[in-house]
Amino acid sequence: MSAITTPPSQPGKPLRIGSVTAPAQAVPAGPVTMPRGRRRTELTMLIFVVAVVMLAYASVGLGLNGKVPAGMFAYGLSFAVIVGGAHLAVRRLAPWSDPLILPLAALLNGLGIVMIYRLQESGRGGNAGNQISTMTTSTTTLQVMWSALGIAAFVVVLALIRQPRILQRYTYTLGAIGLVLLVIPALLPTSMSSINGAKVWIIVGGLEIQPGEFAKLALAVFFAGYLVSKRDVLALAGRRVLGIDLPRARDLGPVLIAWAASLLVLVFETDIGTSALFFGLFVVMLYIATQRTSWLLIGVMLFTSGAFVASRLFGHVGERFTIWLHPFTSANVFCNPAIQHCASSYQLAEGLYGMGFGGVLGRGLGQGQPYWTPLAQSDFIFTAFGEELGVAGLMALLLIYGLIVQRGLRAAVAVRDPFSKLLAGGLAFVLALQVFVIVGGVTRLIPLTGITTPFLSQGGSSLVASWMMIALLMRISDTARRPAPQPIQDEGMTQVVRAG
Amino acid sequence: MNRALRRISLACLVMFVLLLINANYVQAFEANSLANKPGNARTFSQQFQYQRGAIVTADNKTIAESRAVKGIYKYQRYYPYGPVYAPVTGFNSIYSATGIEQAENRQLSGSDPALAVHNLLDMISGKPKRGATVQLTINSAAQQAAYDGLKATGLQGGVVALNPQTGAVLAMASYPSFDPNQLATFNGAELNKVDKQLLADPNQPLTNKAINATFPPGSTFKIVTSSTAFSTGNYTPDTRVYAPTNLKLPQTSNQLINFDNEACNDGSNPTGTGKVPIIFAFTVSCNTVFGNLGMTLGGAALRAQAGKFGMNDPNLTIPLPVSPSNYPPVSAPSFTAYSAIGQYSDTVTPLQEAMFSAAIANGGTLMTPYMVQKITAPDLTPLETASQNTLSNTVTPAVASDVKRMMINVVQSPEGTAHAAAFLPNIEIAGKTGTAQNGANNSGLDDAVFTGFAPANSPNPQIAVGVIVKGGGLGADASAPIAVKVIQAYMASLGKQ
Repeated sequence: MSAITTPPSQPGKPLRIGSVTAPAQAVPAGPVTMPRGRRRTELTMLIFVVAVVMLAYASVGLGLNGKVPAGMFAYGLSFAVIVGGAHLAVRRLAPWSDPLILPLAALLNGLGIVMIYRLQESGRGGNAGNQISTMTTSTTTLQVMWSALGIAAFVVVLALIRQPRILQRYTYTLGAIGLVLLVIPALLPTSMSSINGAKVWIIVGGLEIQPGEFAKLALAVFFAGYLVSKRDVLALAGRRVLGIDLPRARDLGPVLIAWAASLLVLVFETDIGTSALFFGLFVVMLYIATQRTSWLLIGVMLFTSGAFVASRLFGHVGERFTIWLHPFTSANVFCNPAIQHCASSYQLAEGLYGMGFGGVLGRGLGQGQPYWTPLAQSDFIFTAFGEELGVAGLMALLLIYGLIVQRGLRAAVAVRDPFSKLLAGGLAFVLALQVFVIVGGVTRLIPLTGITTPFLSQGGSSLVASWMMIALLMRISDTARRPAPQPIQDEGMTQVVRAG
Repeated sequence: MNRALRRISLACLVMFVLLLINANYVQAFEANSLANKPGNARTFSQQFQYQRGAIVTADNKTIAESRAVKGIYKYQRYYPYGPVYAPVTGFNSIYSATGIEQAENRQLSGSDPALAVHNLLDMISGKPKRGATVQLTINSAAQQAAYDGLKATGLQGGVVALNPQTGAVLAMASYPSFDPNQLATFNGAELNKVDKQLLADPNQPLTNKAINATFPPGSTFKIVTSSTAFSTGNYTPDTRVYAPTNLKLPQTSNQLINFDNEACNDGSNPTGTGKVPIIFAFTVSCNTVFGNLGMTLGGAALRAQAGKFGMNDPNLTIPLPVSPSNYPPVSAPSFTAYSAIGQYSDTVTPLQEAMFSAAIANGGTLMTPYMVQKITAPDLTPLETASQNTLSNTVTPAVASDVKRMMINVVQSPEGTAHAAAFLPNIEIAGKTGTAQNGANNSGLDDAVFTGFAPANSPNPQIAVGVIVKGGGLGADASAPIAVKVIQAYMASLGKQ
């Protein structure tokens, strides 16, 4: 086969890259170097996770009213059962998967529940807090239930998708589903799609679903499938300008469609964050597939120009920039969107005050005033952590996210199949981008846009979708780390052909 | 594709590093400037998370303290005596503060630089931050007597008692007062309701009438007029001066009359056309004598003397800001006559009344009034102790002694205006009454004014008191009895110590 003998200087060929990792797993070299599933490592770390979450929970109670919360063991036990179930499922369904991903995600999920409990208890039972909490007393229980549902979805995804490539068959089906999920809120009447000004919901019978969270997964699969089949065409270079290979004009079609779709989301759903997320996901996957820097540049240019024009044409986008630049002026802090058309920087300023108040080590769980920041349990949960755990706690949380992203990218590099590679790369990147957009937004690094903080924010859709994403990443890492089937015959009779 | 993936990994790394740097910037470097932003409620609320320092009287009665509570904040302000000390302590609400609570806020809250080392040591040893204790010069017996006296009249008014030798404020009462405990609530809606009620009250309970409300001094101003006269060297208390029953004023048809239109008659002036000694005119408070004397001395001289007694000073703080008592420049001699008997545009605070007496009692040397005696850190180290300063030398000791003689006569002489009200067998009081007309065309009820000191037979009188009761009528009727009670209470408390 010519592909095997191709000199390594030719880039962009998947076989060569795939084969880099192949030898270590393909050649059995005795029992010592046998790759191991490392499920015990995972279990040990999960025990730590449950311990950390329980301690945080106790700390909240002690901080609030000097008592260990009454429901501590009930919540702790249900959390332990949930993550224990996930672990058992992984042992059975993805025994070779990365042992770090599940404990890291579980830790974020658990800390999120603890912070939601802390915010829910504000102002109740003599605890410090606002007189009227926007959260009902069952918020924490609901979040635990959503976590259970998320883990269930995680198990289902692992069980149904035994090979990542199965998904490739449903490329266009999932693409269509993703697109529909994305545009439904724009088409629904405001009463059925808008909460706090963000038109990104489907509200049916009291159940609030954020379809964008699931659309993100479906579209990631679609992009991966589509790009794997079309990447050779898209990688063809047109003219070379300033040292950059520009694509041919007729190949610009897909990127323009994605751009237009993301702009439509921006305009009709007043959601610059989701729009940035989808467009970023597409452009980066396009780049991974084609390795053409030109696509990245074109994408960035299209997005910034689109965002700039939108900020001029549509008030709500421009307001975001204004409050980003001047969050502390009283005109911005005290503007009331209910009275005049404006975006109030009150929330952003309160979040920053909270972070500053927390300082390096934080006030301690239950001892700050994070409840003064509106929506501290969803968009601004990160500043709540900043106030009570300090920058030390924030850095820990960011490193946990960073590690999940890194493990995802590691799986992408390790896996052989280009579709899985692209999917894992895309999912890991979109997680990083989502964290960047929301955390950067609430800490005033970039203009604030309301999207969920993965695993931490209150809300079911985000949690379930995040767990499904973790399942996909673990499935891909399981595929990458699974040893090749042992040759049945004696050695010497047949040889496994070594590639590259 | 792995090369692209590695670059994307780098991009992710950059994003996380940016987030990490930014979080550090906000929480470690920007934290201080965020804390000082005017809209930062967390900073303001901090004071209720720590135990604010107590305010105590000179005799160690706690009049404001922070008590541990359950709820939004850890400590709530409590004022054990409510309205009695309200003009002194002021209040400390979740929105604002007044009185000593405001003036000494940095000490009470522990944010003063002088407390920085203590706070640091406390932090290291794990003790919670606490504010410093502020000890006032207020004497609880005098304060209670002053408030009770005012309350008994049911009228608006103020009382200030000073230690003439030091300037220490011994009592500062105002009526009607308010209960600062009502304003110490953490319930914002309730606080707004109480605040609105207090602001709408026509009696203005939030105004500290002892130092922030001014009234016409009436005849008590004759102390200033006499001081001006004696300081010229041309007069003594025994100098006989013109004492008409009606004083015709130049350039106007108005005439200055005595109280009840009586003649100023010591037995030698039955027709009201002759002369009487100044001390007699002072003792029975003849307006015509001092009106005439004032015109002779001139408005400028009176104004200069009034200034020496502390009037026309907008910058006095004790450390509460004191509203200026005014003797504005006078344009016509007829107005000078009125201003010389404490009418026209003269206005004084009860504190100013006490200062008149304090200066005379202290041989003419007026000490700067002050209320804060000592500030003590939570670990009982003294941080600040009050120093006594001279505000001005009002008159020479000889002149002071002359005026003192006349003020003693007002009380001791059976014909004196304050004899009935202020003559005590055991404590010799010196004083001057005032009955000030006010309102348009003097239609309002007369304000009762009294200033005095005791013990007058001692070279070092212990207490000087100024009392004004708005609409109280005769100074001898409404104000002098309050001053007497304050003096008695204070002297009794000195005896106990």
